[in-house]
Amino acid sequence: MISKVLIANRGEIALRIILACKEMSLKTVAVHSEADRDSLHVRYADEDVCIGPAPSRQSYLSISSIIAAAEITGADAIHPGYGFLAENAHFAEISSECGLTFIGPTPEAIRLMGDKAKARETAKRAGVPILPGSDGPVKTFTEAMDVAREIGYPVILKAAAGGGGRGMRICAAEADMQGAFDTARSEAERAFGSPDVYVEKYLERPRHIEIQVFGDTAGRIVSLGERECTIQRRHQKLIEESPSPALSHELRQQMGDAAIRLCQTVNYINAGTIEFLFQDGQFYFMEMNTRIQVEHPVTEEVTGIDLVKEQIRVADGLPLTVPNGDFHLRGHAMEFRINAEDPVTFAPHPGRIREFNCPGGPGVRVDTAAYRDYVIPPHYDSMIAKLIVKGKTREETLARGRRALDLFIIEGVKTSIPLHRAILDDPRFIRGDLSTRFMEEFEW
Amino acid sequence: MNFKEILELIDIVAERGIAELEIEQAGTKLRIQGKPSAPQVIHSYLNGQREMPALPAAPPAAILSAKSQEPEEPDAGLHVITSPIVGTFYRSPNPESEAFVTIGDHVSKGKVICIIEAMKLMNEIESDVDGEIVKVFPQNGQPVEYGEKLFAVRL
Repeated sequence: MISKVLIANRGEIALRIILACKEMSLKTVAVHSEADRDSLHVRYADEDVCIGPAPSRQSYLSISSIIAAAEITGADAIHPGYGFLAENAHFAEISSECGLTFIGPTPEAIRLMGDKAKARETAKRAGVPILPGSDGPVKTFTEAMDVAREIGYPVILKAAAGGGGRGMRICAAEADMQGAFDTARSEAERAFGSPDVYVEKYLERPRHIEIQVFGDTAGRIVSLGERECTIQRRHQKLIEESPSPALSHELRQQMGDAAIRLCQTVNYINAGTIEFLFQDGQFYFMEMNTRIQVEHPVTEEVTGIDLVKEQIRVADGLPLTVPNGDFHLRGHAMEFRINAEDPVTFAPHPGRIREFNCPGGPGVRVDTAAYRDYVIPPHYDSMIAKLIVKGKTREETLARGRRALDLFIIEGVKTSIPLHRAILDDPRFIRGDLSTRFMEEFEW
Repeated sequence: MNFKEILELIDIVAERGIAELEIEQAGTKLRIQGKPSAPQVIHSYLNGQREMPALPAAPPAAILSAKSQEPEEPDAGLHVITSPIVGTFYRSPNPESEAFVTIGDHVSKGKVICIIEAMKLMNEIESDVDGEIVKVFPQNGQPVEYGEKLFAVRL
């Protein structure tokens, strides 16, 4: 049985895990860098260990320091949170080898789903829809043309070795292909050392909808509904909600079933998220995240399930507490990621918080590790709070969101609060007419 | 002792599974520490000159760490050696042997002053200054965190 949990993370998620442990009467160990001495997770944990200097590589990413901290404090389990070492199969493996229960999936599942090409292959075998495209890189221009003709325009050419937008070209029609093929190949060659590109169907206005899944050691896997995370900028999510305004009960069930099928093929245990692109009533598997997500509270609010406590229970070998039978989401929840950044330029804005007043009232939850006089260190990500609002309907949720954002007072640093507030007045957002290009087109 | 002889000694340590071998001879001091698989020369001093740095030196004393609830020690004028890693502090290489250093000892830069065990590895911690040990902060066998005070040294 787990009795003492070391939290290998910082900030609001470290605090979130401590809260779950407290409710389960488990002892907690916080680890921290020198820059985080005055953090709330350090203050609220039963024990704390400084594991290194401010840079993450020497502290929150240092496997040996974290394991050593578990050894000297006698912790018997490790919760990795999200980010840092959460999807590091090696860390999960070493934890187990050192006799520590890793609160998360098995190293094999992390490895299998962490490799994008392998995950796509696994999805295909499980009968989960993937974006139509070439099987691996196309060798010649003729082959690229054949694939494009078969799947239909528009298509996107992507560097096989790539990421971050380089070596990518969108083709609206056949006439664009030759130029796009040549540029994509030379860009891929220069950026990644390999000219290989593959062809994929291009979705012009997709939504990003993900399914929360959970598996236990008895082999039961459930889907806990979706989260719509379409409002992003530079692939960073800004607002998440559940249920998605785009899904019918049938579609939700189809996506949930697809997600469960995928998890079954890898015997998935613990919390995970299957990300889909969605357009014109069709959904396509994008990738899987083998950890708890930043936006997990949205699901907690509409399902009434404490996902972090569930993670600890499942890691301890206990069965899921989710009841059997038809699954319904109750009400509507929305999360706003409050970042310490300039709301217009998105430049991070670390510094001292001079005033901090959290909103409250019915249907409002704030997950944060910030407080008045807290100094936001420049070494880590800029998210300082998550505001989660819940209502009976989407309309009520939007109204709650507006008044909660109005009452959320943070002074001393710039935050994304004004941006969130403006989005809530946007007619397209109010209608739920969303695509991942929303922020490109958004005007204040 | 020439280089060839040192290599031979390393082979002997490895083959026989000797834990540690220390030889002092005409101003030359050599210590070879054996491991289950591969031996490793930890330090070699020739006429007091340090030849092979094996471990990174402790971080500068400027990175002092004191838990806020602890009263500040009167460290004025003293150099404090802090722990470069998280682990368990040991004053001697094994329970039977003597401490690496005790109060009043003069240490030179590079001298091993304690061991910190982390993940079953014994990490030798060296002095980063020349001076006299005036205080040992943790107890033998006590867990220490990164940046925790280990020794105070009068320069």
